[in-house]
Amino acid sequence: MTTFLGYERPDGKVGIRNLVAVISVMDTCNPVTRAVAQAVKGTVYLPGSFIRGQLGNDRAITLKATAGLCLNPNIAAVVIIGLEPTTTRELQELIKPSGKPVAVVNIQLAGGTINSIADGTRAAARFARDASRQVRKLFPLSKLTVGLECGGSDTTSGLASNPSIGVVADKVIAAGGKAVISETSEFFGAEHLFAERAANAAVKERFLCEVNEAEQDIIKQGVDLRGSNPTPDNIRGGLTTIEEKALGAMAKAGSSPLVGVLGYGEMPTRPGLHFMNTPAPAVESITGLAAAGCQIGLFSTGVGNPIGHPVMTVVKVSGNRNTIDTFWDNVDFDVSSVLEKNETIMSAGNRLYDYAIGVASGEMTTSEVLSVHESAISRFGLSM
Amino acid sequence: MARAFVLSTSDNVATLVDPVRIGDAVSLVGEGSAIVNAKAEIAYGHKLATRAIAKGEAILKYGKVIGQATQAISVGDHVHVHNVEALRGRGDKREAS
Repeated sequence: MTTFLGYERPDGKVGIRNLVAVISVMDTCNPVTRAVAQAVKGTVYLPGSFIRGQLGNDRAITLKATAGLCLNPNIAAVVIIGLEPTTTRELQELIKPSGKPVAVVNIQLAGGTINSIADGTRAAARFARDASRQVRKLFPLSKLTVGLECGGSDTTSGLASNPSIGVVADKVIAAGGKAVISETSEFFGAEHLFAERAANAAVKERFLCEVNEAEQDIIKQGVDLRGSNPTPDNIRGGLTTIEEKALGAMAKAGSSPLVGVLGYGEMPTRPGLHFMNTPAPAVESITGLAAAGCQIGLFSTGVGNPIGHPVMTVVKVSGNRNTIDTFWDNVDFDVSSVLEKNETIMSAGNRLYDYAIGVASGEMTTSEVLSVHESAISRFGLSM
Repeated sequence: MARAFVLSTSDNVATLVDPVRIGDAVSLVGEGSAIVNAKAEIAYGHKLATRAIAKGEAILKYGKVIGQATQAISVGDHVHVHNVEALRGRGDKREAS
């Protein structure tokens, strides 16, 4: 199976979902955005992250990642909720090249929150009805970008779920698709091995530089990473050090060559495996992956992490038999047979691949049906 | 019998996929094949030592260094944060380096 059923966008990209984004340009707009999204079926609520008071690189990343969430192929149309027209226009200009329908509500110009909610709801309702007319068509896997994530990791993650995800990543890449692994600090102790897979010297150097800079930030602060990572639940799950966690986490990336290094929320432009520089916590990391255009995220969990993302469909994979028993409401795919029944990684990975293609073609995941999702763009500087 | 996965022949720890009590026999699977007696109560997913490890010696899993022993560890001991420390992301050791 090398095709999936998706929704074609005007820019030629292909979504695996057909959602209307209702998105805030800045945090002051979130109450209106939330009310609009609640009123209209088929929409997703995307809260704004600051913007006002942000400067330089920090502001640029936030604005680009906000636009990136709208540009994600899973989004059919966008309702922008802003306070005033200058900033909303900035976001609108970044989305324009996609050719997606965009409506704008400026709360100051609309005359307050009640009028803004009414205007936004009308626009979102029209977009949702328009989007519902679109039908899925067959597309090659080269149209897929897969996010590779882990959260609530334990020792089973490195033994079963992460390498199974790695098999899927390799198959998507072999078919001409893209995959993105993130979480920079979770390469500490494994970066020398991962760097050997770089397609060229420049990629290798940039990857090692990103990892080294992250560690130097910790050293400069004079703090011990052990206070934060491995997390208390990682430790309860048997992970002892960041090095052990990293060696297991790296398995999500399979065995394909590393062709590119991306900034936070940056879109990969060529096929193959990419590394994105992100913080390790799940919500910030998957928001970066969603902003980069990943339509689907393969998310391994050991002791149990339930979170998904409103824009990127998240598949939860676990190889921990206890988590499969007690956390099943939030797990989509069981690879515990790797540890319990000697199933090979290749066999578990092939099963996961078939399931993931089904999800890409429309099967809903636990985080989708339960609306267990969150979006938050990382900060890279202080507001002024 | 309880099982513990050995991931590389050079490893000195194995990952338990069954919980064990003191004295339980553990069958090493994967890249190992011996029987080891657990010297502690150890939870599912946690590691036990498959070789004697001296204080300061590297802990090896996947054939790679995952940390350093902070005390001597005997075969069958629980290997975790109480007797192993990470070597990376250690801003607290800045003066020493």
